[in-house]
Amino acid sequence: MGILYDRLCQDFRLREGLNACINCGTCTAICPAAEFYKYDPRSIMDIVQSQDDEAIMKLLKSDTIWYCGECMSCMTRCPRKNAPGLVVMALRSLSVEMGCYMESEKGRQQYLLSKDICGNVLKYGYCVYPREFKYQAHLEAGPVWKWEEEHMDDVYERLGANLDKPGPGAERKIPQEDLDDLKRIFDVSGGTARMRAVEDAGLKKAEDLGLTEQEYAEKVYTECNEDHLNH
Amino acid sequence: MIYEGKQKIWSDYQKDIPDDHYFYVRSCIRQAFFPASEAAFLDITRNKLGRDVFETEHHTTCGGIAYHCDVIPQETSMTIIARQFALMHKYGYENFVCSCVTSFGLYCETLETWREFPELKEKIAENLLKSCNLEFAVPKVLIHSSDLIYKFRSRIAGQAKYKLVDKNTGRPLRVVEHIGCHYSKMFPSKGVGGAEYPYVLIGMIDAWGGEIIDYPERRHCCGFGFRQYFIQSNRGYSLANSNKKFESMEPYEPDMIITNCPGCSYFLDRWQYVIADTQKKTYGKNGHGIPVFTYEEVAGLVMGYDPWDLGLQTHMVGPEPVLEKIGIDYSPDAKYKGVGGKDIGCPECPACLK
Amino acid sequence: MEKNVLIIGGGPAGLEAASILQKSGYSVTLIEKTDHLGGHLAVWDRLFPKGQSAEELLYRLVDNLGPVNCLLNTDIQSINVLDRSFSVILSNGNILLADAVLLACGFDLFKAEKKEEYGYGIYDNVITNADLERYFQEGDGGRIINPKKIGFVHCVGSRDEKVGNLSCSKVCCATAVKQACEMKQRFPESEVFCFYMDLRMFGRYYEDMYLEAQKKYGIRFIRGRVSEVSEKGDKTLLVKAEDTLSSKPIMVSLDLLVLMAGIRPSASGRRVGDMLHLMNEEDGFFSTKDSIYSQQKSDIPGLFFAGAGTGPKTIPETLNDARSSALEIDRYLKSNFPKKK
Repeated sequence: MGILYDRLCQDFRLREGLNACINCGTCTAICPAAEFYKYDPRSIMDIVQSQDDEAIMKLLKSDTIWYCGECMSCMTRCPRKNAPGLVVMALRSLSVEMGCYMESEKGRQQYLLSKDICGNVLKYGYCVYPREFKYQAHLEAGPVWKWEEEHMDDVYERLGANLDKPGPGAERKIPQEDLDDLKRIFDVSGGTARMRAVEDAGLKKAEDLGLTEQEYAEKVYTECNEDHLNH
Repeated sequence: MIYEGKQKIWSDYQKDIPDDHYFYVRSCIRQAFFPASEAAFLDITRNKLGRDVFETEHHTTCGGIAYHCDVIPQETSMTIIARQFALMHKYGYENFVCSCVTSFGLYCETLETWREFPELKEKIAENLLKSCNLEFAVPKVLIHSSDLIYKFRSRIAGQAKYKLVDKNTGRPLRVVEHIGCHYSKMFPSKGVGGAEYPYVLIGMIDAWGGEIIDYPERRHCCGFGFRQYFIQSNRGYSLANSNKKFESMEPYEPDMIITNCPGCSYFLDRWQYVIADTQKKTYGKNGHGIPVFTYEEVAGLVMGYDPWDLGLQTHMVGPEPVLEKIGIDYSPDAKYKGVGGKDIGCPECPACLK
Repeated sequence: MEKNVLIIGGGPAGLEAASILQKSGYSVTLIEKTDHLGGHLAVWDRLFPKGQSAEELLYRLVDNLGPVNCLLNTDIQSINVLDRSFSVILSNGNILLADAVLLACGFDLFKAEKKEEYGYGIYDNVITNADLERYFQEGDGGRIINPKKIGFVHCVGSRDEKVGNLSCSKVCCATAVKQACEMKQRFPESEVFCFYMDLRMFGRYYEDMYLEAQKKYGIRFIRGRVSEVSEKGDKTLLVKAEDTLSSKPIMVSLDLLVLMAGIRPSASGRRVGDMLHLMNEEDGFFSTKDSIYSQQKSDIPGLFFAGAGTGPKTIPETLNDARSSALEIDRYLKSNFPKKK
């Protein structure tokens, strides 16, 4: 029927997550994002179920699909065994594939997430790497993290970690051959293609706005429209 | 609350947790923020309980955070996971234990999806062979590290030096337990106790002498939200959700919080600091917060480990109130010292939170 | 010689079929596993839509029985299908040879504690529709002490894949509206909420009942399924739902919550059905000879159904069903055992 809906159906998360929604609202009732943002997972399920191309395209370009925190509290309760969280992930994936995410403020954040997290995975083999977790960008981590950052090797040694060293242990230096494995996995499964596309789109947008890469990253990191919140 | 009703539910959701021979994979967040907890897990299971828990330096992240930030396609995440399983198989193991709750949820989700769509499993096998020249086998048993500590809770109680009891008053400590969303919300039957009344931490608290507190927002997400935390402009979401939980638990006067998820341990700790700093409000007594612990930290404490070996000095909310109550012998001066007593300075103490 | 009919189950269906068959000249034995007749009707107070007395109806049904042989505290130990009859051993050891058997075992209520997120059996102030009906009947306060805010949760254990029951239990919506009005009559100062997904007001005067609930009793109908119930320090309940009509999640504080537990096939009925190798449909209720044309016949000649064993029914529907079954049994016995001229 709908072209976009058919594309969504190729994502296993949509097949797992959408088994005909009866609009009972159990998911929205329990959703942490629904309280905080102007967000209603029930209506997202209804829109996707309608297979209406226009409505789905609107979703893909909107901030709406980026409000979900992927906690999956919705999946626990749904009487039809749906999982709105999984459907949102399928929508996000399609939005990235089609480039629609660039049209929403929350969507454009993919640039930074992709750069940092995929960067960590391919460089260190971890999604989060302490030397890249800068206190200046995470003041909420508190003075204790500032201290840890300044004395990183000593602190990690004290805590029984194996920071950047060979052999097993926390924060070990993962051997290059394993990182190479990860790179090849990314290549063969579409991970690298996505990384590249998101990076290119971000850099182009920076150029369009007349910003340096640094300035664009900063903008994406901090800009926030008041309108997202559910007052 | 009628306890028998909960007991019936707990007896329905029992999980088969083998005794021994596990392949262990670590958590990105725990390695970064709670490495001592993982070290304690291995020390307790291997040395104190004599189990075979194997770790290879060749394992990597499961990619869970990347997956939930939607920066990698599902295929990539599944192939990375297949690689982890291939390593398990290569080293001759069938039981898989992971340190992170997001990982646990993702491994379960992946296995379920492969079960329902075998053609996808085949595709991933092809991917893995092509990229890493490896073949994988699905684990016979997949558990989370808190499941293992839960399994051994009585043995740990047997070796314990302390109990979760206030030594001055003799009353059990009031403990709030928080379960990571991805532990049982997706697949309730895969969590000990199910999704509504998970038992995995309650079992530990029970065995170690504490009193369990229930409160209205117990099941509410801590608010990690992946992208909702990493990107600064979204961070209010994360803070608001933790705040909601604190406000809800406050009237019950908890002495401590235990959680089994890396993100939750970090957020429930740090957001108390932020709330203290911005709202001038603390949830403990006398300007203290409510100390937040991982289950390994608690297991370690009752077994008599030194709190600073367990990494408690890296929490923003000071654990001292709980240490005092339990009567644990510790040295305040040694708190921020490095290996061998090396002086490595100390963090600035915030005025808002002790 | 009189032909004899065994009726298994002493609820409304069994009672009505028994009295009709007895008056038609058959020797009827009715067995009931509990110590009283009437099934669920015996523990109800008033019936919808007009608040008719359940007790009076029960008296009438029992009164009509006449010389029917009623055995209480009796169940089936074994039952075998013979050539043109059924050999039955009862739990009291008696052996019976029946020419026709009527299965009228009724239904069980869904065990509300299975819906863990609602906290039945864990929170003091969460009760079921059955608990409430008993309260109306016996007037015993117990847990119900001047509630100011009362909620009714529709579809508990029905339309819910999570608990393994996809079907609608049909009668709970009307029951909920009835009970909501009755609570308002009992506690006029209270606020009453009904949390529903769809409002199934299919029978005569059901819509009138709904209208009265809104106009006369000011009952608030919220279209949103309850997602979670928690308990506060003072034992009051915190209920989370979404008001789907305005697309907003809501949190309501209540003193009492009534769960409308759904209708499930009777376990004892299934037990007897298994002895006879009777088929069930996917929804768990008995499979009938034809779902449109022959709902009272099974695939075994001489074995008939009446009542909720073949699916949720209202009381009038149950009585109609029992009368149809009696007619089918009469036709069967006459054609199977024609009178010699």
